[in-house]
Amino acid sequence: MTVYTFALKRSFRDKTNLLFLMFFPIAAIFLPSQAYWPSMPLGYQYFGVLILFVAIRLTGLLLEDRQKGVVKRVAAAPISHFRYLLENLLAFATIMLGQCVVVIVGGVLYGQELYQPFLLFILYLAFSVTAIALALAWNSFYRSRESSFLIFMSVIILISLLGGLLVPYEMLPEWIQKLSVVLPTYWLYKGIEWIVHGGDAIDFIFINSVLCVYSLLLLIVGSIRRIG
Amino acid sequence: MNAFYTLRFTALRMMRDYITLLLLLIVPLILVTIFSMVLAGAEQEGMLLLDETSVKMVLLFQLFGGAIVMSYIHLDFFTQMRFRIQALPMNSTMYGFTIMLAGTIYSIVLGLILIVYTSLVFDVEWGSVGWSIFIVSLIALLSINVSLIFTFAVKNFKIAERLSEVYGVGAVVLAGMFFPMPDLALINGINEYLNPLTIAYQSVDAYRLSQMTQAWQSVFTLVSLIVLTFVIMLVVGRRRMP
Repeated sequence: MTVYTFALKRSFRDKTNLLFLMFFPIAAIFLPSQAYWPSMPLGYQYFGVLILFVAIRLTGLLLEDRQKGVVKRVAAAPISHFRYLLENLLAFATIMLGQCVVVIVGGVLYGQELYQPFLLFILYLAFSVTAIALALAWNSFYRSRESSFLIFMSVIILISLLGGLLVPYEMLPEWIQKLSVVLPTYWLYKGIEWIVHGGDAIDFIFINSVLCVYSLLLLIVGSIRRIG
Repeated sequence: MNAFYTLRFTALRMMRDYITLLLLLIVPLILVTIFSMVLAGAEQEGMLLLDETSVKMVLLFQLFGGAIVMSYIHLDFFTQMRFRIQALPMNSTMYGFTIMLAGTIYSIVLGLILIVYTSLVFDVEWGSVGWSIFIVSLIALLSINVSLIFTFAVKNFKIAERLSEVYGVGAVVLAGMFFPMPDLALINGINEYLNPLTIAYQSVDAYRLSQMTQAWQSVFTLVSLIVLTFVIMLVVGRRRMP
């Protein structure tokens, strides 16, 4: 698990990452609840957006490896590409799992109204994996970490807006509502709505399954890029 | 060689910087469009929410306009490129100022496009386009000064970049655009005298309501901040510039 350990160390070495990984999730716990919208406390509504930012920051390490030629050296080392990718992704998933635990446990201890904290944790976890896969797929189209991050930043704002994380989904025009069904952020929004309002358990399983299917597809797209 | 001659090339460089164009023009255009669709017809206390949100959004994107200037100053004066720039037969300090000038014009043009777009397509009430451009120019100048202070004051450029983002996002958060801020004297004071976004909005809003004294007061606050940050920028810049 050498790559896994190094991926963890590298992620925490970056000072900006520390802000994303530690300060923002803790700050999210203390954001207040709103009277009309969203139904979840504000920090928990925006946490999905933060997950996307964290995912692109973390997976940027793989792009950096490609930029600096580390991937070529790994190709000559006695480790398979699959193992290299898997250990890196596992490290990122561990960090995001930690964040989800901190946010949920922190919220419960602080006394935020989280309705069903454990299910919310499951939903965040499923979305975190989707976010990592999405960021991996996104990075595979870029050569520079900076360009990838900057453009993805705009994409995050747009998909969060269209997915109903930043404005009430019902206020979006009908044709946008129909289009936004293809966005992972929409499924996070649906999951949060389910947790707040309740419903059939099968619906919640379906929402998480959609996120898992997205993860699988995006992981495939993100992992087939050639080294050269 | 006159440093102003380079203005043309800096402008060309900026126009070819597609990522910045995407972030400072295309994204705001899309966001303003979506928000305009969402908020069409919605009112709060007799005022159209669309007017308030669109004006604030156009102004807030000016807060990030300094990023391109700080990036060019860093590239031209703090990397290997500086030896080439210094070898040119021109005053390199003046060249630095021409980058600032080009960055300000660039921000103003992007702001103008957004103002014209929102007022023509969504009938956003700006009061006066001329006054709004004036305010956009002030906020652009202030943001460039602040970004350059970070560039000169912090050795690691990446941290300087992050600080300039904190300045932009911080102003947006304090203005209560993400969520309502608590009614504290400290936050209200910052929004009244230090937060460029709220000061600029107050000025546009006051002009719209024909409250000229209030509009000029906000301009005076913005100009004072510009002068203050310019002096700080010069002091820290003289220490760092090669």
